Amino acid sequence: MPDAETDKSSAASVPRFEPDQGWVPADQRLFGLDRRTIGPTLTVFVLVIVMSVVLPVVNATVPYSDIVRAGDVVELDGDVTFVPEAGWGITSGVRAGDAPLSGEYPSTATVEDGEVKFTVQTAPFDGDANKLLDQIETTSDALNRGRGVHVTGEHTSIVTDQGKQGATARVTGPQTGGVMAAFVFDGRGVEAVATGPSDTGPDTTAAIFRMIRSIGHPGEGKQ
Amino acid sequence: MTATIADLDRARDIALDLSGWGRRFTFYQPRNFAFWGYLVLVGTGIFISVSRITRAFNAYGQAIALAVTLFAIYAALFWWFTQYVDHYAKLPAKLMVVAFLWGGFAATWTMAANANSTILALYAKAFGQSWALNWGAGLAAPFTEEPAKGSGLLLLIALAPRLVRTAFDGFILGAFIGLGFQIVEDIAYAMTSAGSQFGANQIGASIDTIVLRMVSGVAAHIVYSAIFCAGLIYLLGRPAEPRRVGRGLLLVTTPILLHGIWDSLGAIAGASALKLVGLSVAVVVVALVIVVRVYESTVPREREFMRDVMTPEVARHVISAAELGAMVGNRKARKAYRRTGRNRRECSRARYVLNAAHDLADALAAARGADTDRVRFARAEIGRIRAGVPTQW
Repeated sequence: MPDAETDKSSAASVPRFEPDQGWVPADQRLFGLDRRTIGPTLTVFVLVIVMSVVLPVVNATVPYSDIVRAGDVVELDGDVTFVPEAGWGITSGVRAGDAPLSGEYPSTATVEDGEVKFTVQTAPFDGDANKLLDQIETTSDALNRGRGVHVTGEHTSIVTDQGKQGATARVTGPQTGGVMAAFVFDGRGVEAVATGPSDTGPDTTAAIFRMIRSIGHPGEGKQ
Repeated sequence: MTATIADLDRARDIALDLSGWGRRFTFYQPRNFAFWGYLVLVGTGIFISVSRITRAFNAYGQAIALAVTLFAIYAALFWWFTQYVDHYAKLPAKLMVVAFLWGGFAATWTMAANANSTILALYAKAFGQSWALNWGAGLAAPFTEEPAKGSGLLLLIALAPRLVRTAFDGFILGAFIGLGFQIVEDIAYAMTSAGSQFGANQIGASIDTIVLRMVSGVAAHIVYSAIFCAGLIYLLGRPAEPRRVGRGLLLVTTPILLHGIWDSLGAIAGASALKLVGLSVAVVVVALVIVVRVYESTVPREREFMRDVMTPEVARHVISAAELGAMVGNRKARKAYRRTGRNRRECSRARYVLNAAHDLADALAAARGADTDRVRFARAEIGRIRAGVPTQW
């Protein structure tokens, strides 16, 4: 242990000089930049490009091949089902009997045919089909503020193959048109939206209405 | 052979140089390429985040306001705790803010969000929708989110090479990166939940998500990133932390594994809710045990710095050897020291002396070991508290 009384040395009273953080040694400059900082930054940018550019490009080049076969049924959360058109591609959601290991079916499913997209979503809802359609319209308007796809026109009735009455309305957006349908089964709301080019043919329109009418729930029987 | 005070002062200078403790952090560094990279990537993330919230606020304003308020309180608690555990060679608060913003905006929106949805889509195409629902999240998020958060540390090292010196620095900065990621991700989840019932009952729909994210967040991104970034420092090596590739790889892969298991719990547990709860608790406990072990394995270097900086003060009779022992010890050592007082007043005084000694250590670090007026004042404060003289300030 040193003796403070006999050891007269003490620390300097002025801090040793250190160059400020922005200073770059002359032998480390490259076009005025600190060359030591280029490598780590480029490494991060490579990672960003892989995540934000390369992966989406790869994904865009890989076609989906989950094609609907005749007799397939798609199931959603809350035991809601619909029958997708044979030949369309399932881009989200699963078939009945192919539930995830957790046992819970997803709450949305989407099938596509070219530029036409048909999405069904379910969630708890307190009210009838018209109230659900109003709610969807309110939320959609608040989100899109007049832009994008929005509900236009009056509500009309639609009856499913099970005999459940729902409400539909036309939807329009930039270069797109379509239809939206709403049903409520025992406190479970179901929203079905089909969108596609404005000049979609009558066969596709008929297919969409077949899918809407196929929406079902175990509690509903033919009336 | 006994060391002279000059020897001890030299050891202190070396410790201060090596640790970077007390150095200031300047964010604005136009000649630093990492500064521009950081600005572009965090700026992009902020733009995306603000655009999303602005768009959704019109529809889900109540739920967003609730989520932002609750998660701000949650973040403040974690911020305090993370700063609390960094009580040796402290990092500047400004650097922690820079780390938090990276995690909150660049790692989330600029990087991981794009990659996650793309990889999930690729999994669905390759293995089917059901497989993707079971295992997609567990095999996507850990490989995108952990590197996205960890890459921020590369920029932080380039921005503050004289400050980020030890695996413990990586551990603390990683925790702040993870905190930023966690909070912004939680708000995004709450926003999604708000719309999950067609926009109706948005508070009821989002509150479950908020509570669940708060509970599970105790051992999630903050813990994963702290471990990952400590490992990254071992992999890279720093002036005060020799490269240890094996340990680095272990620490970098551990949070990826933990994250993967956490995101796959639904599939692993199957339809049993009880099994899901049991497994969730087990993963949280394992994650917490690992993070404590990583803390314990990285902090000794910081304690050595503290010892080197304060040993000359023992030689100068400013503090006692017992006080130094408490300063460089763990919570138990500090508690034991405080309890050496004969009564409550002495115990309190011991605690105040320790606090003042930490102030002196910070003053010495800021002065790079020089005997400045601030340092002399900090020494005098220890003497004043020890003597029980009331402060005049």
